[in-house]
Amino acid sequence: MQPGGATQAAPAEMAARASGGRAGGGDARRVVVSGLGAVSGFGWGVEALWQGLRAGATAIRPFSRFDHAAHRTHLAAEVPARPPAPVPFAAQPEGRLLSLADRFALAAAGEALTAAGLGEALGLLPEGAAGVFFGSSTGGMWESELFVAGLFGGRRGALRAVASQQVNGPGDAVARGFGVTGPVQTVSSACASGALAIAAALASLRCGEVEVALAGGSDSLCQLTYAGFNSLRSVDEAPCRPFRAGRAGMSIGEGAAVLVLEPLERVLARGALPLAELAGAGGACDAFHMTAPEPEGTGAAAAIAAALGDAGLAAGEIDFVNAHATGTPLNDAAEWRALRRVFGERAGRIPVTATKAALGHLLGCSGAIEALVTVLSLARGELHPVPADAADPIDDACPAALVIGRPLAVPAARAGLSTSLAFGGSNAALVFTRWTGAAP
Amino acid sequence: MNREVVITALGTAGAHGCGRASLERALAAGAPPPATEVDRAAGYHQPEGARRALITPVAALAPWLPPAEARRMGPPSRLAVAATRMALAEAGLDPARLAGPGTAVVVSTAFGPTSFSEALLRQVLQDGPESASPYLFTECVANAPAAQIAIACGARGVNVTLCQREAGALLAVARGAAEVAAGRAERALVGAVDEMSPLLHAMLDRFGALARGRSRPVRGARRPDEGGEIGRPFDRRRDGVVAADGATVLLLETAAAAARHGREPLARIRGWGSAFDPAAPPTGWGASGEQLGRALRRLLLRCGAAPGGASPGGLGALDPPASVSGGPPGASSPPGASGLLGASGLLGSIGAIDRIVSGASGARAGDRLEARVLRAAWGEAALPPVLAPKGVTGEYGGGFLAAAVLAAAGVAGVACAPTAGFGEPDPDLGVSPHDGRPLPPPRALLASSLAAGGAACWLILGRP
Repeated sequence: MQPGGATQAAPAEMAARASGGRAGGGDARRVVVSGLGAVSGFGWGVEALWQGLRAGATAIRPFSRFDHAAHRTHLAAEVPARPPAPVPFAAQPEGRLLSLADRFALAAAGEALTAAGLGEALGLLPEGAAGVFFGSSTGGMWESELFVAGLFGGRRGALRAVASQQVNGPGDAVARGFGVTGPVQTVSSACASGALAIAAALASLRCGEVEVALAGGSDSLCQLTYAGFNSLRSVDEAPCRPFRAGRAGMSIGEGAAVLVLEPLERVLARGALPLAELAGAGGACDAFHMTAPEPEGTGAAAAIAAALGDAGLAAGEIDFVNAHATGTPLNDAAEWRALRRVFGERAGRIPVTATKAALGHLLGCSGAIEALVTVLSLARGELHPVPADAADPIDDACPAALVIGRPLAVPAARAGLSTSLAFGGSNAALVFTRWTGAAP
Repeated sequence: MNREVVITALGTAGAHGCGRASLERALAAGAPPPATEVDRAAGYHQPEGARRALITPVAALAPWLPPAEARRMGPPSRLAVAATRMALAEAGLDPARLAGPGTAVVVSTAFGPTSFSEALLRQVLQDGPESASPYLFTECVANAPAAQIAIACGARGVNVTLCQREAGALLAVARGAAEVAAGRAERALVGAVDEMSPLLHAMLDRFGALARGRSRPVRGARRPDEGGEIGRPFDRRRDGVVAADGATVLLLETAAAAARHGREPLARIRGWGSAFDPAAPPTGWGASGEQLGRALRRLLLRCGAAPGGASPGGLGALDPPASVSGGPPGASSPPGASGLLGASGLLGSIGAIDRIVSGASGARAGDRLEARVLRAAWGEAALPPVLAPKGVTGEYGGGFLAAAVLAAAGVAGVACAPTAGFGEPDPDLGVSPHDGRPLPPPRALLASSLAAGGAACWLILGRP
């Protein structure tokens, strides 16, 4: 536990306020992660992701999705091409109607369901018992750009190119592909979308609305966001360097992540072992500015405190942080202040990992894939490093205990925090705890 | 924690103007406001395509949004912030009272800020990526309206934007109500917003979503000019929706807080539910209403409001709020039909829904599915009176949500409003919307929204 004092009292107050004095960990159903699926710049699948991360590599490199010669920067974490392969257990919808983001989402969902041992069982659930909770910022924008480029030139492309243009396309595609009949909800709250979608899944599972939730996010590279973030001068010309003194902005990535979430008793009943428990979620808004974070990090701190309160954990019980850590000067500084608000002096000692340093910023999916990495960190007992760069020291103004160069073993870690700080000031935080129960 | 949630204020902007009074007049009259000719200069439209949409008069927003603020916002943000201020003004609530972590914001948008996205793409694709305007980019994210509402009010609770096409508005209410019911927020500003840019209008038309009227023969038409560009919910002649822009924002708070502050609720939120039809194509509706009908019936059973029941006592069983396949927020019960039937513990006061506000819009397949879902849920029992306000409000822009709340509030004329655009029953549907005859205010109202792509959401509203 954290030592007492004014600095430490704030999170408890915020938690009590945000949670209405109720910890979700009380008499609510316990919700665990039973399967993971990912598509990232490191490739298709969770193992490709984890091996890339723990090697301290970066997927941020020159890319070929579109001609970026006229853009200000020239790097992105592009998902490598994949030979056509059917997604396990999914109905194979007409491929030409799917956007790239849909395909990422379907692949991640198929992998997650397979890992959870639910591929065929999903269809055996009572009607309405499975739901999809997804985050996305741009859905099928990449395909829309191709279509609209033709339209601007006076040409009319085939409508099928934009059949899945909407932001809800990836979540709907997953629901359609796997025959989901329960609630389907797409959150589009910029960079917090994935985390807020997972929070929605948690609420749905706790109240018994669903028995199985496919929660995650998906986004693909597109010119709109690439040029847009460059217009704000918030993209680094080099791979992003969160919390470093020389950081100069973010890097953009793409991909999908899906967590299969279920009540604990359901997973144990079928003889499976949870990967981690989703103990709590919280959200709060800066209400400050459309693009700049509130500099003192009060909104982010409130979201973290709400998640801790929901999990029934004290700040001192968090063993590591998977930070939002975009690498922009303002965002990292505000996030550091938020961590200071919550963790006090201990903030500088808590191991912090920054997945965006390797994968870039997956926008509407970032909260989901970082949640997934947090689960892997707990399940495998180590934190992935960010690429080493001895020439670029940690910023004295935000001295996070960043894991650098090689993995950090954390076999005793019990709880990890994942943060998401979005455009428009929407903040979200998730708390996962290690599953310590006996194997069934 | 499971607290009773009520709607205490409503702000709405649309082609009818600003504020609920103008919408109430249009609904009670059963006549849509005048439609606006959509700018076709960009050449996106097909020559024979739809030409009109229900567009909010820009000048009407001015009293709610000073130019110095409006200039920093895209069209959806302007609509959303203006509607928020209308709601707060109606409640007599100083926006400063909402500042703080207790106020959540949940907004839905079907398509996001399309005009700014289009303008930004023109810059990027035609003038070059370094021409991209940071201002356009900032306001082309889907969550810009929710963020601007938060900034305008200092609302520092959770801030969520939902995108689920036509089901989004009711989903936003459900999500906000869940936040308040569970005690995660003291109040929530919830609603829906959409703009209708020429590009979006043209795309909806090319997908065959819009009513074209004279420009295209209507199946079953008796005269070649039959139709007009009119949304005709449940009508045999329907051939698509009339697209609309606008925004509706509601203030949700606990019944206790409303009473404490002397605010008379418009309606009480008594349940919600959502489901998905995986048979639906990405741009259309499924053909069978059986599965969604079962989901709706589960919600009604869960709420103790299923048709065919015997309790005239009404909706006591609807307390606390229920969700479609589970218990009230914070409670736990098994999902699925069998689990609900056996475990709800809320049965015993059923057959209580006495009004339906349908999302039927004039879409051929959408209205057919809506009718099938309602009939499947009600089974052998007769449907209560069905209102279909999208003949007045058009599709998108939150007008439907406002109409549902006003009907639940028992607003004279609205709660029994005639159905604009309806004239000839469709024998294939078996549902005829209400003809405007006087009805008592509803005790419990079901609002229904089925989205293209497969999503569905329902909301049960009761008198406070």
